Amino acid sequence: MTQAAFFVLTALADEPRHGYGILREVEELSDGAVQLRVGTLYGVLDRLTADGLIVLDREEVQQGRLRRYYRLTDEGMRALSAEAERMAAGASAAKQRIAEGRKAGGTPPVTGPGLAGGLA
Amino acid sequence: MTTLLEARYRTVLRLLPAYYRRDREEEMVEVYLWDVDQETQDQSRPTLGEVASIAALAVRSRLAAAGAPRRYALLGSAARNFALYAVLLQAAAIVSDEVLRVTWSATRGPREWDVFLTGFTGSGPLPTVVAIAGWVLPLLWTVGFFALVHDRRRLARAAVLLAALPSLWPLIEPLVTEWPLSAPYFVTANALFAWLPTLALCAAYHRDAPPAVLPVGTPGLAFLACCVVTGGSVALLPTMADLAWAPATCFVLAALGWLLLRTRRAESGAGSGALALASLGLLVLAVRTASLILWLGLPLPSVYLAGALAQAGALTLLVVALAVVARRDLAPR
Repeated sequence: MTQAAFFVLTALADEPRHGYGILREVEELSDGAVQLRVGTLYGVLDRLTADGLIVLDREEVQQGRLRRYYRLTDEGMRALSAEAERMAAGASAAKQRIAEGRKAGGTPPVTGPGLAGGLA
Repeated sequence: MTTLLEARYRTVLRLLPAYYRRDREEEMVEVYLWDVDQETQDQSRPTLGEVASIAALAVRSRLAAAGAPRRYALLGSAARNFALYAVLLQAAAIVSDEVLRVTWSATRGPREWDVFLTGFTGSGPLPTVVAIAGWVLPLLWTVGFFALVHDRRRLARAAVLLAALPSLWPLIEPLVTEWPLSAPYFVTANALFAWLPTLALCAAYHRDAPPAVLPVGTPGLAFLACCVVTGGSVALLPTMADLAWAPATCFVLAALGWLLLRTRRAESGAGSGALALASLGLLVLAVRTASLILWLGLPLPSVYLAGALAQAGALTLLVVALAVVARRDLAPR
């Protein structure tokens, strides 16, 4: 699953959202790290719809403009849960390795240029 | 009332195919204009990034997006087949050519070997770098082919982009050196032969596209067969072998085989394969013709001329036959 697809599914996990709502939610969820363009968003929505992970929830017309709300399907929720668990397992393994590394030999050696003479 | 910004967004959205716009345009305009002040709308424009993302979506929705109409699905399939067959042809032609050249130079005594090495080292740093890149980079067609058939799309894209680079050098050389452009028809046809498949691969094998599948045999067997044909055609008939000879021979035999296979399997709906081969045949025919033009006005051995003309004739007939098959298969039902 791509990062964009993961965040779009996450944005829809609690309630149905429309296109703009998804864009803002993805930005917020990722602390601004993922800023989807509209073309990218609709590419992701097309793919997730084709895979049966999201469906159209309802349509509204506001001030003459069409607003479509999307929601997760059961399969989408399962796919998101599986991906979240996979990521959590990876993060947990990384944390464990870091802790083991610290216990075994302190902090890893610094290999950068260092402060020549500054702290000697 | 439609503002200038809305009109500009709608103009950008016209890049998308009509079926997609019918379904999505109003919704996308709503997203674009959501948090833009009515008063500032006439001073704003779509950003370059927004235009680029719509352009990418436009390519994707024409080349096998989910739910695309039949003609776009066929177009996507044809573009993918075209890229796959062309990359295979390039890979086999380059490998056999380079193996034959090294073998020839290494087995004809030290003088031939020196001549071969001088091609890389004889004339200053820039020509040396160009000669080495021109020798090494095209080998990446093979990497691109195997990456593609094993569904490693990013690797395939990177490999063919690098492999196609040397074909641009003859066009760039007059701009950065004092050498004039030589053989313009041939270098243009050759650059198209490298870059059209490369662009087709980059555009048509996007994330949602189905994987590359050869119509018959395994990838290794297909590559080996093409290498044997391209190498064999040069080794058996060296007097006829110019730069177009090996790929043209391979294409003629492969296209004949494809037509035969199609007849025996009585396949219908193979139109995208026929369209892909017809397009590739046209490209090979352009290279064939351009390499013949290269020698016009010079006293040529009649055997070479006969071989080149026979190839051009066979390519023309095959392109027409494939176009007829494609037209019949692609006709709306």
